[in-house]
Amino acid sequence: MHQPRRMDRRTLLKRAGSAVGLASFPYIVPRKCIAAADRPGPNDRLIIAHIGVGGMGTYHLRNMVDRMQKGQVNVAAVCDVDENRLATASQNAGPQADVYRDYRYVLERKDIDAVIIATPDHWHAVQTVHAAECGKHVYVEKPACCTIDEGKAMVTAARENKISVQVGSQGRSEHEAYLAHRYLVNGNIGHVDKVWCFHYPSPSDDNPVPDSDPPPELDWDLWLGPMRWRPYNRKYCPGAFRWIMESGGGQIRDRGAHVMSCAMWWMGADGTGPVTVEATGTQPTKGLWDAAVEMEVVYTFKKPDWTLIWSQHPDNAPKTEARGPDEPQITRPGYGAVYHGTKGTFTHWGGDGGTWAERKAREWVPPAGAKDVRKSPGHYEDWFEGIKTGKKTIMNIEAAVGVSNLCNLGNLAFILGRKLHWDQIRQEIIGDEQARRMMGWPQRYPYHL
Amino acid sequence: MDAGELITRIQDKDDKVRAAAVLKAGEVGAVAVKQLAGLMMSGEMEVARAAKNALWHIVRHAGRPDADIERKSVVSELLPLCGDSQSAAVRREVLWMLSEIAGDEAVGVISPLLTNKDLREDARMALQRLPGEKPLAALRAALKASPKHFRHHIAVSLRQRGVEVADYPSAKLVPTKPTQVKPVGG
Repeated sequence: MHQPRRMDRRTLLKRAGSAVGLASFPYIVPRKCIAAADRPGPNDRLIIAHIGVGGMGTYHLRNMVDRMQKGQVNVAAVCDVDENRLATASQNAGPQADVYRDYRYVLERKDIDAVIIATPDHWHAVQTVHAAECGKHVYVEKPACCTIDEGKAMVTAARENKISVQVGSQGRSEHEAYLAHRYLVNGNIGHVDKVWCFHYPSPSDDNPVPDSDPPPELDWDLWLGPMRWRPYNRKYCPGAFRWIMESGGGQIRDRGAHVMSCAMWWMGADGTGPVTVEATGTQPTKGLWDAAVEMEVVYTFKKPDWTLIWSQHPDNAPKTEARGPDEPQITRPGYGAVYHGTKGTFTHWGGDGGTWAERKAREWVPPAGAKDVRKSPGHYEDWFEGIKTGKKTIMNIEAAVGVSNLCNLGNLAFILGRKLHWDQIRQEIIGDEQARRMMGWPQRYPYHL
Repeated sequence: MDAGELITRIQDKDDKVRAAAVLKAGEVGAVAVKQLAGLMMSGEMEVARAAKNALWHIVRHAGRPDADIERKSVVSELLPLCGDSQSAAVRREVLWMLSEIAGDEAVGVISPLLTNKDLREDARMALQRLPGEKPLAALRAALKASPKHFRHHIAVSLRQRGVEVADYPSAKLVPTKPTQVKPVGG
């Protein structure tokens, strides 16, 4: 394995200071921690650690264990704040993997090249920034972040520490996403001026329960992390953070981070943003969950002019395309998007690890001189390439933060019940002091950016 | 809807009636703040939640652009709720409400809470969020007056506000919580 580039402590601390644009010595850097990423050689076996091993974290771990058996990577550590999950992950990862409750033990290990972060959303930004500051490359689950300010910090940390970040909106790496993208950019439905994303509602909590002591296997303080303290409730975790606005943000921040990722990619809109955001919807009538049940968010883009709509209602999906027995079947027909162009429409279903393009895009044969688009070798493979070569990943942190901003602005407009005006250059909400303050929230010590 | 009707509906047994009332709370405004705060401690779990949600609706409505008079009225009703007569849960919630819509007028109420063990972290974060020089001055003063371990917290807030603080580095990267799980084969 490669040797990490070592830095003297003075340089290390200076870098740490500049990484967050603050005072020279704003935080203690554990002696073992390296604050500059190194790029392994093309034949080096990456040393990976997993932070968060429930849900998608289990999926990632299984994938990396498969790759370990093929000699591509080594799984060196697993980490979770739930001791039961951690014990299971240890079994799955094998005896070579160390176990940790606190992710910062992982970050201080010099031998680890990269981390896969699959914690609840409210941890994504802080753990990504901390990993960057310790010189680790990062694969982080979508959405990238919960607030506008977190996104800015992630971009800064990734750039200044020269790490490769892949965000888990895998739709961009799907084969049929490539076909859809190629079909659209070659003008087959003309100029696209509206993208309508459809999704079914978020659930309501029909069986609310009172606050209680956390289960003994759970470190509640570490689960909460940067969020303000509150008592444990079973409807936070396990497995329910998605329906808490502050943590998971509802369907728009879950699948929206997939479907709108495809939209921004295919519309060539990465790096741009809306000028206004308007949202309406309904809230749960009881219980702890507060994410919008139904929701309609309209994003207005200018120069070029187009409209992006997030429409979260029951039974609003277009008719699912019939496919032959030899074709990949559409197994997630409840979400996707319809693209409206001057010469017709185009529909896709899914948008995440399952993305299905309408037949006309799959059967379209590009004529000579047709434009081609980037084809991902696979979401993990694209990340590995980014780590080893410095090439920008297909769902790089800048693009992912742009998509997260859409999700977060939609939720903010819904919470506040009013139209928001967004300045893409300054990355700020304008003309609304309360909304501007809500672009971020102060974080609990020491779980802060 | 007036305040009395709002309070009645927030206590209704039907969750749909409560939820509809929550949505109307913003328009009722400051006059309902004190009673809603009282209901936040109701023994009926869902009534307490509806009251909290209604209070947040009032805060979000009052913070809209060009509604400065309403905003100030709501803030003036919230400030007394930071006092000792309220539970820590209510005071904590109110601190976060103030952090969204209050200005300098809240600093004198929030700053003393930096010495309250149960509330100081939320008070610190609320002050961090308030714009202007007065909250900054309060944080600077707290950096000198607070117990040493809490100065690291205060220093983080000051740095987030762009103030250079040489001492009291954050321990954000320092691991502190070992696991009890034994690794497979370990």
